[in-house]
Amino acid sequence: MSAATKQAKTLARQLFNLSLVDGAVSAERVQGVLAYVEKSSPPNALLVLRLYHHLVSVELARRIALVEHAGSIEPTVLKAIAAAMTQHYGRAITSTAKPNPSLIAGLRVRVGDDVYESSAASRLQALSSAC
Amino acid sequence: MSTVLEQIEQQIAKLSTKSVKKNTGTIRAIADGVAKLDGLSDVMYNEMVQFPGGAIGIALNLEEDEVGCVILGDISGLKEGDEVQTTGRLLSVPVGKALLGRAVDALGQPVDGKGPIDSKEFYPVEKIAPGIIVRKSVSQPLFTGITAIDSMIPIGRGQRELIIGDRGTGKTTITIDTIINQARINRTGLASGDKNFRPVYSIYVAIGQKNSNIVRTMTALEAAGALEYTIIVAAPAADNPANQYLAPYSGAAMGEWFMENGMDALIVYDDLSKHAVAYRQISLILKRPSGREAFPGDVFYLHSRLLERAARLDGKGSLTALPIIETLAGDLSAYIPTNVISITDGQIFLETDLFNQGIRPAVSVGLSVSRVGSSAQIKATKQVAGKLKGELAQYRELAAFAQFGADLDAKTKAQLDRGGRIVELFKQPQLNPISIELQASFLWAMQKNYFDDIDVKKIVVAAAKLREFLTTRKQPLLDKIRTKAALDAELEAELKTACDEWKAGYKS
Repeated sequence: MSAATKQAKTLARQLFNLSLVDGAVSAERVQGVLAYVEKSSPPNALLVLRLYHHLVSVELARRIALVEHAGSIEPTVLKAIAAAMTQHYGRAITSTAKPNPSLIAGLRVRVGDDVYESSAASRLQALSSAC
Repeated sequence: MSTVLEQIEQQIAKLSTKSVKKNTGTIRAIADGVAKLDGLSDVMYNEMVQFPGGAIGIALNLEEDEVGCVILGDISGLKEGDEVQTTGRLLSVPVGKALLGRAVDALGQPVDGKGPIDSKEFYPVEKIAPGIIVRKSVSQPLFTGITAIDSMIPIGRGQRELIIGDRGTGKTTITIDTIINQARINRTGLASGDKNFRPVYSIYVAIGQKNSNIVRTMTALEAAGALEYTIIVAAPAADNPANQYLAPYSGAAMGEWFMENGMDALIVYDDLSKHAVAYRQISLILKRPSGREAFPGDVFYLHSRLLERAARLDGKGSLTALPIIETLAGDLSAYIPTNVISITDGQIFLETDLFNQGIRPAVSVGLSVSRVGSSAQIKATKQVAGKLKGELAQYRELAAFAQFGADLDAKTKAQLDRGGRIVELFKQPQLNPISIELQASFLWAMQKNYFDDIDVKKIVVAAAKLREFLTTRKQPLLDKIRTKAALDAELEAELKTACDEWKAGYKS
C-alpha cells in the first residue's frame, strides 16, 4: 500500500468517526464533512471520498434490515422484523422491503453482512448442492 | 385426535419457517489465487469461506476493512462482486485407515481415480502441537533399512530427522526406502501374530513436485508392496500455491489420527524448500511485509508449528517426521535450511561429491547427526556399530591427508584400509532396504575382520553374498537376532559358525 493511499485511508476513517453521533451516522455531520472536503480539498480527495462513502454505506447497512420478499408483505411483519433485529443486535434497526421474485417464496433479511435466509429458492439450492 | 395433528402441524410449520443465518461478503479483487473480500465481519482466522461454484477459500488476512483469502480450487468462474459466505468451520481433511493405499490432494480428495474414499472422521488441518505433559521421550527405533543411517544416525519413533542435500543426491530415495522398509517390517510383524507388534503407517507428502515424479514414487511403492500402508498427499507443481502451502498440514492431520489412536506413523515432507517458496508467493500476493530473501516474517513458525506436531505421546502412538530440504551448492547456512535444522532433532546431509564418487547413499558422516542418538537403537546395533561413526570420520580426515601422497605409517594405512572397507560396506542399492538383523550380522562380520582379506573393490559383492547366504541358509539365526534384539554369547557363536561357513565357501 502506498503512503498516499494509507494517508487517504486514515483521513477517511477520521472523517467517518466525525460523522457519528451516538454510534450512528448523522446526516447533519455528513453534510459538514462533505463541506469540509470541498473547502479544504485534501490530497487524493477523490480517493478519500470513495473510502468515506464505503465506510458510511457499511455503517448504514448495519442499521437497516433489507427484507427481500417474493410475494406481498404486511407492514406488521416489517415492524416485527425491525423489532426482532433491534433486540438481537442491540442497536436501532429499521426495516425496508424490497421485492425479489427470484426467491419463489419466503423472505431474505439482510443486516450488514448477515443474511437470514428463509426462502424457497435457498432451500432448492441447498437441495441441489446436496445431491 | 385432531388436536394432536394440529400440534404436529404447528411444529412442522415452525420448523419449515426456520431461517438460516449466514455471514456474507463480496469479492473486491481477485488475482493469483488470492481474493480480497469486503464484509465477512464474523470470519475467523483460518476459517473456510465458501465461494460461488463450490470453490473453498481460507481466510488468512483479517484486516480492518478487508479479508485476504487464498482460494483452493478452480477460480476461473469467479468475478468481482460475487457473494461469498463464511462456513463456521476450520479446514478439515478426512483421516483414518480408509486413506491407506490412496493418493489424495491437499483437501483429502482422491486423485488416483480409484473412486471415493469412505472416511467417517475428519481432523482440522491446523492443530496446536502436543504439549510438554503428554509427550514421551523417543526410545523406540524406526528402522530405515539403510545401514549407514540405522547404524550411525539412528531414527526413533516420534523424532524429526531432516534429510538435506543438493538436488539429485538421493534425498527422496532415502525416504522411499524407509517407507518400503516399514511395509516389509509390518508384513513380517503382522504375520508373526505378536500382540505387542506396532506397525508403522506412512504418509508421503509431495509438495511442488513434477507429476511424473509422484507417479514414479507411487509405482515404486506399489511394486514393493508398500502402497497399502501408505497415504500419498500430492500437491504437484501445477497445483496452486495455496494447495502446496496446505498439503503438509493435511498430511500431518492424517498422521495425527494414527498417533492419537495408539498407532505409529511416519510422515515425509518432500520438500519443505518448495513449501516455503509457495508460502512466500502467497504472502507476497497478500501484501504481507517481506524479510530475508523475501520470505515473510513467520516462515520459521510456518515450519516449526508443522514439525512440532510430530511427537511420541504418552500412552498413545507416535508420529515421526522426515522433512526434506534442498540446498543450493551444498549451502547449509541458507535461510530455510538453518531454520529447519534448528527445529529438527538432527539431520542427514547428503553430499554431491560422495554421490558422484558412487558412494550411495551419499551420507556425509561428519555433518549428519541424530540428537536422539543410541537411545533409538537396539542393543545388537549398538554392539556392532558403536565405534563406526568415529572410525569413518577418522578415515575421511586421513583420506584427505593421504591424497597428498605422503608416506604413511602402518597404523594410518590400516585405518585407511579399514575405513575404505566400511565405506564399501555401507554402499546400498536404492529400493533395497536391509533388515536390522541382517545389518547387525554383516556389521558383526566386519568387526570380526571377515572382510579384511577381501579386495576393497569386491567388498560390495562380498557383503551381498554374505547377506544372501544368511537369508537363504541361516534364517532361524536372523529370526533369533530380531527377537532377542541383542547379540549374546550364544548368538555370537552361531554367527561365527555361519560366517566361517560362508567364508569357507566364498570365492572372490
